[in-house]
Amino acid sequence: MKINKILVVDDEDNISSYLSRKLSKLGYEVFVASDGETAIDITFSRLPDIVLLDVKLPKMNGYEVCRKIKSNETTRLTPVIMLSAKTQGNEIQQGLDAGCDLYLTKPIGFPDILQHVRSFEE
Amino acid sequence: MKALREAFSRPSILSKLLVSFVALSAVPLIVLAYLANRNLHETGVEALLNIEEMGHINLSLIEQLRKKVIQDTVEALDARSTEAIEVRTVDLANAIAAFLYERDNDARTLSTILPSEKDYLSFFQCHYRTVIEPPSTIEEIRTEKKSSTIVVSGNPENSQSWRNLPPYDFKKKSIPIYREISFVDLEGNEKIKITSHGASKDLRNISSKRNTYCQAEDYFQHLGSLSDNEIYVSRVIGEHVPGWLQVSDGKVTVDPASAYAGKENLAGKKFEGIIRWAIPIVERGKRIGYCTLALDHEHIMQFTDHLVPTEERFSNISDAGEGNYAWLWDSEDRCISHPRDFFIMGFDGNTGREVPGWISETTYSEYLASGKFLEEFVRELPNFREFTQNKKGAKDQTRIGRIALDCKTLDMAPQCQGWHDGTDDGGSGSFVILWSGLWKLTSYAAVPYFTGQYSKTKRGFGYVTFGANVDDFHKAANDTKLYIQKTLEEQKDSIEKVNLKTGSTIREREADNRNLLLAIGLVSIMAVVGASIIISYGITKPIKNLTAGALAMRRGELNQRINVQSRDEIGELATSFNEMASTVAELDHMKSEFVTIASHELRTPIHSILLSVTGILGGYSGEINDEVREDLETVRLEIDRLMRLVNDLLDLSRIEARKIQLQMAPATISAIVSQAVERISELATTHNHSLENSLEAEKTVVNVDVDRIVQVLINLLGNSIKYNPDGGKIIIDGSAHENVFSILIIDNGYGIPDWAQKKVFDKFFQADTYMSQKVGGTGLGLSISKHIIEEHGGSIQCVSPAPKNNYPDLLLNFERKGAVFTLTVPINQKSAG
Repeated sequence: MKINKILVVDDEDNISSYLSRKLSKLGYEVFVASDGETAIDITFSRLPDIVLLDVKLPKMNGYEVCRKIKSNETTRLTPVIMLSAKTQGNEIQQGLDAGCDLYLTKPIGFPDILQHVRSFEE
Repeated sequence: MKALREAFSRPSILSKLLVSFVALSAVPLIVLAYLANRNLHETGVEALLNIEEMGHINLSLIEQLRKKVIQDTVEALDARSTEAIEVRTVDLANAIAAFLYERDNDARTLSTILPSEKDYLSFFQCHYRTVIEPPSTIEEIRTEKKSSTIVVSGNPENSQSWRNLPPYDFKKKSIPIYREISFVDLEGNEKIKITSHGASKDLRNISSKRNTYCQAEDYFQHLGSLSDNEIYVSRVIGEHVPGWLQVSDGKVTVDPASAYAGKENLAGKKFEGIIRWAIPIVERGKRIGYCTLALDHEHIMQFTDHLVPTEERFSNISDAGEGNYAWLWDSEDRCISHPRDFFIMGFDGNTGREVPGWISETTYSEYLASGKFLEEFVRELPNFREFTQNKKGAKDQTRIGRIALDCKTLDMAPQCQGWHDGTDDGGSGSFVILWSGLWKLTSYAAVPYFTGQYSKTKRGFGYVTFGANVDDFHKAANDTKLYIQKTLEEQKDSIEKVNLKTGSTIREREADNRNLLLAIGLVSIMAVVGASIIISYGITKPIKNLTAGALAMRRGELNQRINVQSRDEIGELATSFNEMASTVAELDHMKSEFVTIASHELRTPIHSILLSVTGILGGYSGEINDEVREDLETVRLEIDRLMRLVNDLLDLSRIEARKIQLQMAPATISAIVSQAVERISELATTHNHSLENSLEAEKTVVNVDVDRIVQVLINLLGNSIKYNPDGGKIIIDGSAHENVFSILIIDNGYGIPDWAQKKVFDKFFQADTYMSQKVGGTGLGLSISKHIIEEHGGSIQCVSPAPKNNYPDLLLNFERKGAVFTLTVPINQKSAG
């Protein structure tokens, strides 16, 4: 599977804009959402190839967003990488329960993120 | 008991309370009991003394009362007896006087009759009188009996103080009143003479004394001077009968040769005498002679001989020996009637001369010196001269039995003077005198008969006297005295008994009270002890609850609350504690929340920085030179350190808040240690450290949260690697001890100074700041490890330098002192079994 479109969901503008800039520079089409509802809207309207999803979000949290993506027939196969500052075991389990494909904890370096994204291309 | 032992083994509140309660209550109680007991005892003693004194007072009062009552009673009864005797004396005197006046009437009657033998005889025969016939033998006296019949009144209303005495049934006989009656002419020739033998032919001329009775009468010489109708009465004339008194052992008896003396001498010769009345007889205005009547003296004797001044009242025979009798004196103080006939003044039958009265030995000596005849000497003696009972009767007179009593000259009998003086005014009375060794009451009364010569003094015919033995006369008083004495003795006895009983009652009460006091004291002390235990438990139980609560809070059980039951200070304390616990719990919650939020919030900027730095380092922001790369690498390391710090803080706060749940599971030591070694090996290799694991085959099973223990081991091993010079050696050793397994991590590094060995487990403590900077430690690792191990119920400690001899391989020296970290974890008991 070729990844062209990436949805970055984070309420921290610094983070989403940095990722957007660097990923765009690498040739990806990047969508940015700063809240859960927008993330859902973009996912269903633009159908990104992968979603980088923060857990802590306004309006709708990451788990909810993930559950909605995974419960939609169209988007259920779209890989969701959850990124969270929450590192407790139960939080990770919550993410996995919501159906995310990968759960990464913040902080994490850009090369690592890129590596994980590319791992879904194979 | 256990509580008590506990209370005294350590100075708890209970023991303090107990001691102070007992001291506060028991000491005053003991003092109170002591004082009460002492007071009680003193009161008892005092009461006893008072009772005794009261008894004594009572007894002395009784004694006084006794004396007074007896005295009063005796006096009262004596007064009554005296009065009774006086009355009888006066009655007797009056009776005698009346009898004598009857004789006056006889004389007058006879003087109205023309003298004739026939008429005189019939007159004589008409004048008889009964007299008591005294018993003639002792036996006869003894057979005298009083009637045995008891007479009572038919009406019960008369039964109070009913008294009845049987009649005096004395044997009596009738005898002529006169021994003779006669008619004498003016020349003294007896013309008619009647005696108990009838008309006498032996008529004499009585102008001559020799022809008179006892040759002693001189009445004829008085007749001439009589006026018509005037009566002449003579004195008592009779022959004196001698008598002898014998005294042996103070008791007086009468010699049998003596005259008659009643019971004392039944067989003796009686005194016989007369009193002659004479009155002129006038015929047709011309005196023709005189009629005379010679009263038989026996009739006078009848008045006195049978009267007894005691309860006996009357007797058929006189008894001067008993001391209770009556006798009679004439107007010139001569004894004319007496139970002892020899005391009656009389005449010598042969000479017709009066026998002189008995005088004292003293006076008799005077007589002997006087050279006079005794009659003459006595006649000339002044009346009542120096009378005293200190004198004794003249022995010469006693010897010849001539001891007639002439009151005027009987100078050894002072009572004579009393009688004489007392009857001077014709009155009566009494007095008490000690006579013959006996106290005697003696009474007297003048006989109011004033005819002829007896009209010369107010004493009249003479005087009656009574003698009564004081014992007899006191009889009523003495009986009463005995009764009172007996009653008072009984009273005394009963008072003494009551005193004894009261005394013993007081002592019993005293003992009872003492026991009661003791019981109250014991009960009080027990109650105090019980109360102090209860109260102290009331205090200590909530305090223990508080302590338990505080301990639980210390363990992190912040939801611990004390069950507040009381509203007192303890209750307030518990409430405060609960409020504090709530606050602490809230604060703790806030702290955890803060740490969680803070760590999360910190991660976001760190994440941002890390993204940028790694991006730059990864070449995604264009080419960078080596200097920039080097600097960014430093930034990168500091970001890592910052992250570790955030993670450790979060971890510690969770552990401290007991928010982590240990996932306890059995695991072998070898598995746990191997896991840690495997995860640290990379770091060890980096620093060129050799790791020697002696526990590779240790199969002891412990019950632990494996991940957490591994975390601790990694921390310890990491420290040993990072804080020591590269190329060092680390040994992992261990052994089982009873319930725990000890894991030892020994290194050959610089070691930890003594002062730091305990502090290494404190938060943010770093023994060597430079080294910490260099290795990028957070200062929280050992603190977290200690919490984890303690949460397992184990312990962790640090020893440095490491014992050289135990680990020769480590090549420990002055520079490389080495350190040993020992941690213990509980052995799984099931597996160990």
